[in-house]
Amino acid sequence: MDTDTGHDFERDLNLQDLLLGIDKQRLATALQALLGAPIAIFDPRGACLLGASEPTNDIPGLPLYGELEPIGTIAAAVPQDRLKAAADLLKLLLHTNARYLMASDLHLQTQQDDFDELQRRHNALEQSEQRYKALAENLELRVKQQVQTIEQTQLKLYEAEKLASVGRLAAGIAHEINNPIGFIRSNLTTATSYLASLDKIGALLPTCQDIAALKTAWQREDMDFIRQDMRDILAESISGTERIAAIVKDLKGFSRVDETEWEEADLNVLIRQVCNVAAAELRGKAELQLDLGALPLLHCHPGELGQVFLSILLNAADAMGAQGSIRWRTAFQDNRIVIEVRDTGRGIAEADMPHIFDPFFTTKEVGKGMGLGLSVSRNIVQAHGGELTIASRPNTGTRVTISLPVKPGS
Amino acid sequence: MAIFDEENNRLSIKLVYYGPAQSGKTTNLMRLHDILRPDLKGDIMLMETANDRTLFFDLLPLGFKAPSGLLIKFKLYTVPGQVVHDSTRKAVLSRADGVVFVADSQRTQSTNNGEAFANLEDNAARVGIDFDRLPLVVQFNKRDLSDILTEAEVLQRWQAAPWPVLFSSALTGEGVVETFHALLNRVYDGLDREFEFQNRHLLSREAFAAQASGQIDRQAY
Repeated sequence: MDTDTGHDFERDLNLQDLLLGIDKQRLATALQALLGAPIAIFDPRGACLLGASEPTNDIPGLPLYGELEPIGTIAAAVPQDRLKAAADLLKLLLHTNARYLMASDLHLQTQQDDFDELQRRHNALEQSEQRYKALAENLELRVKQQVQTIEQTQLKLYEAEKLASVGRLAAGIAHEINNPIGFIRSNLTTATSYLASLDKIGALLPTCQDIAALKTAWQREDMDFIRQDMRDILAESISGTERIAAIVKDLKGFSRVDETEWEEADLNVLIRQVCNVAAAELRGKAELQLDLGALPLLHCHPGELGQVFLSILLNAADAMGAQGSIRWRTAFQDNRIVIEVRDTGRGIAEADMPHIFDPFFTTKEVGKGMGLGLSVSRNIVQAHGGELTIASRPNTGTRVTISLPVKPGS
Repeated sequence: MAIFDEENNRLSIKLVYYGPAQSGKTTNLMRLHDILRPDLKGDIMLMETANDRTLFFDLLPLGFKAPSGLLIKFKLYTVPGQVVHDSTRKAVLSRADGVVFVADSQRTQSTNNGEAFANLEDNAARVGIDFDRLPLVVQFNKRDLSDILTEAEVLQRWQAAPWPVLFSSALTGEGVVETFHALLNRVYDGLDREFEFQNRHLLSREAFAAQASGQIDRQAY
């Protein structure tokens, strides 16, 4: 497995390897001095590694052993026993060198292996870091997209809730507007017929010689009555158009939900507008009482708060069994605007109380409510830094309290 | 895996003595060096520190010639038992043809034995040895000491294991040759399959073990 590292400690060591690091000149000199004759060392192929350059047949030689097998020859013109002693000495030297070579090769081999392993782990770590980085970036992007989707959905729900409550009012408001339009049209028809009478008198003017004939015609057409009635119906019509203008104004003031800008607003005015807009819806169900104290202007989103007031008002109206009353009270205390709406309706069942702010929770029959009114209302109030709380007693009534902070200097 | 050197007509077989620190791996090798008398026996190479801890490995080369003329060379290695020398253990274990796991019989050493054996299994996998097919014998050493697991206890614990379990006292040389023989016996099958010991080299199982140990010199110890 590890043979490719170049440091295989198990490789066969030849004589040349084993002489590595040994000062050959000193070795040769020492051996020659001990033996008293020139020595030579050859590898198995006969190449001279130490001493005389050529192996000669007449000089006696002895094999040098490595682990098990001969790895070379030592030759010197000395008796066998002395040559053997020299060979033994050399063998001890080579054995020690073999130990060193094997140990250092093994050391290099394990170092290399450890380094490779470290490198491999490092690379793996780097890769996984890259993966996590990519994942994190991806995640961030996806969270952003999700948040965007949720925000858009929420916006649509707000829209839907607003349209639902406005839609409920549409019939009543149409009636409110239709009524003055009806008598204005009738008055205008009458005025047109009065114009016919005036024409007849007018036709006499170019030919008429005496004033008496004109007077007769004036009386025949009952112009005195016409003059008076004309004044009355015009005044009535003007007041009718004023009523329509007022309704449109309230409606406009209330329906500015699309305007995202914050502005200074008088919440009492806003409450009155909402009550006017919902007047038709309340008629015959509940008597409205407004007990509005002096309020400072509030830096707010009037369209959204109007939606809150309308939701609460319509809830109160829906809670009415027989004729009841809905009482608005506003006050400014401790730098907060407190708005309280009490109704004498049927109240909220105790089991429903924990769920009233849950989105899509409704006790109304299908088609009458989306179950978003209170959930959206609370969100809007909280967005204004305020609180919306509800207290209710079954068969007695419900009290909704909105408390909004007025920031100093705003 | 054994390495066949065609040029020199030589087969090198690597046997490794593995086990926890100070369980007697080096002593096993020293006794084999003293006792065995094969045709060829090299000098034992010991690499130990002053306090008798093996640093890199110990090596005992042995060899004999098969009737076919093939030189069969054994390289018996020990690994350093200390936990820190794991890289060295791994390198020495690499390409092993057979392993003796030298366990310490002392009761206090059971945990070390277990960890060393798990380490052997792990390292075998790391160097590409199929542990299930690796010729392995287990030797419970230091039978001469007191407070050791009884043979019955050891055998009962290793009952389910597929490896032969032997008992030894390496200090006195008892069981050391038997362990070596048990490993040769297990190594023989694979080598016979790969190198046709019986058919091509006329080397029987019995001759393989006998020649590897040669004339055993029981008088040495």
